[in-house]
Amino acid sequence: MVERSQGVRSLFQRYGIAFAFVLLCLFLTFSNKYFLTSGNILNVLRQTSINGILAMGMTLVILTGGIDLSVGSVLGCAGMVTGSLVTGEHPYPAALAISAGLLVGGLLGCVNGLLVAKYKIPPFVATLGMLSSARGLTYMYSNGQPIPSLSDEFLNIGKGVLFGVPIPVFIFLSVFLILYLVLARTVYGRRIYAVGGNEKSARTAGISTKAVIFFAYVICGLLSGLAGLILTARTSSALPQAGIAYELDAIAAVVIGGTSLSGGVGGVVGSLLGALIIGVINNGLDLLGVDSSFQQVIKGAIIVGAVLLDARRHDSN
Amino acid sequence: MKRIQRLVACITLTFSVFLLPDISQSAQPIRIAAAIYGLKAEFANLYVASLKAHPAVKSGQVQITVFDGKYDPLVQNDQFDTIITQKFDAAVMIPVDFQGSVPGVKKAIEARIPVIVSNATINWDGQTAYIGSDDVIGGELLAEAVCHKLAGKGNVVILQGPIGGSGNIDRTKGIENVLKKYPDVKVLEMKTANWSRAEGLSLMENWLTSHPGQINGIIGENDEMALGAIQALKAAKLPVKDFAIGGIDGVADALTAVKAGEMFSILQDSTSMAQGALDLALRQVIGPSYQPQAPLWKTYEKEMPWKGGTEKVYWVPWTPVTAENVDKLIETRRKEKENKG
Repeated sequence: MVERSQGVRSLFQRYGIAFAFVLLCLFLTFSNKYFLTSGNILNVLRQTSINGILAMGMTLVILTGGIDLSVGSVLGCAGMVTGSLVTGEHPYPAALAISAGLLVGGLLGCVNGLLVAKYKIPPFVATLGMLSSARGLTYMYSNGQPIPSLSDEFLNIGKGVLFGVPIPVFIFLSVFLILYLVLARTVYGRRIYAVGGNEKSARTAGISTKAVIFFAYVICGLLSGLAGLILTARTSSALPQAGIAYELDAIAAVVIGGTSLSGGVGGVVGSLLGALIIGVINNGLDLLGVDSSFQQVIKGAIIVGAVLLDARRHDSN
Repeated sequence: MKRIQRLVACITLTFSVFLLPDISQSAQPIRIAAAIYGLKAEFANLYVASLKAHPAVKSGQVQITVFDGKYDPLVQNDQFDTIITQKFDAAVMIPVDFQGSVPGVKKAIEARIPVIVSNATINWDGQTAYIGSDDVIGGELLAEAVCHKLAGKGNVVILQGPIGGSGNIDRTKGIENVLKKYPDVKVLEMKTANWSRAEGLSLMENWLTSHPGQINGIIGENDEMALGAIQALKAAKLPVKDFAIGGIDGVADALTAVKAGEMFSILQDSTSMAQGALDLALRQVIGPSYQPQAPLWKTYEKEMPWKGGTEKVYWVPWTPVTAENVDKLIETRRKEKENKG
């Protein structure tokens, strides 16, 4: 009897997030007849795609034991550069503008990576600096003005459908799948866990820890740029204030998903669920007509609850 | 040796700080501080651009120093300390917060620096003058336009500004004043999207799900949120022109949308507010002999007379953006941008 209840408990602790997600969806299905409709599910996925992509990159960084506070600013900067290339009477081809946006994201990620991996600046400080600088660059580049009337070819990223799935959702799920495979199947993935688990012993084992950490920030920057492109296409205009405070939801998604802030434990499956939980809460509480202030209280409670669960899991181990 | 070098550098730097104001005073332009709530919003940037385009600034009579309040009342209050110690001749300001910006303004007035508050009010009436548009009237014009297109019958949703801000409180009041007159217009939902287009988009998507086929009108307390809602309609492949949609501010994208017949907008005249505030400040510095230089005093001769420049409150009229005046407004905006760039 005792054994069985312990079994149930460890099962709950291991899959707690998935349980919580299913419970939340069940609750919303019964309390609102529109929740479980295909249109609404696509809405949730579309609304989650931006935070979800940020959370994917954030997961890699947090797995190495770091953090990236600059994702929202990098998103804004990349979106602005891309927007500036697809506006006006002679817009550049969307492919070029997208590459430029990704390049901006990747380059800013490189700076973060260098500061953290090579110059040993604490990730919190290095990326806090980038949060400020990248936002400032965005305002300088745009003069604080939004860039409207983007080309239809580009806007299609936000509106279009691929294999029956909205393009933002398609991109989000592809990013998830790729990172899942990278973490589970590749040498680089295993090294990320090794570095996050114990950097010293990873170095002793011959892993170039600097390179592992550097690339985690580059990938995170690249994905922030990607999220910036999608946000720009969805709002049909590049906004200089786009992405302010987005790092909070991205970190929340990773933490709710059970990835440990001290590194080495967790993965993108949890972060996917974490991002979906945040998306479902926002959507569900809108459908139920719940006050937005209360919405923030609930989100906060879930974040803390998830970490509490995580701490107890570590204790029992 | 290094230590001595450092010491010398420090001393030089400290003294140069003391020297700087003296140099600028000897050049003798009138020094006006512009304390702006935050330079991230399009509106704030238009306001600053208009200040710099004022005839008195262009002629070199006035030198403007801009202080970015960074949306933080504490930052703005600290900036007023700087404005006082650097002995600016006067200040024009857009407050960060109804309550939080009061101490800074108070200190400046006590230090005999005239302060012209503009765009949003503060919870104190000791400022030299206030120039702005009445948000209650803005809300009324907005709701009136939407109800008019609905022919007085239908279901609307309201996208509100940040809860607790004076913009949200006053505009909502105006909207409610008008809705009382239209018993057949029903409010299905009312919620904040924090002035943000991305939030307006998500909120509208969710409302379209929970009220399928029932929403006829969208009242956005600013343009950004209304534009987000339009994006949601487009994504759901709904005919935007069949909806009655309105916003406030007259930002560039909204002007384009008005031109396309997708929405109404009520222009918040940042140019007149900024240049009017500067004229009122100069009237305080120079005295009764000062004649206002900005063109707005001619344009609004009837609605907002100069009256010697010593009134306590000046209400800048709202400009409803219509199919007739939208082209002209887009053209003016383009020129303003060119001037700035």
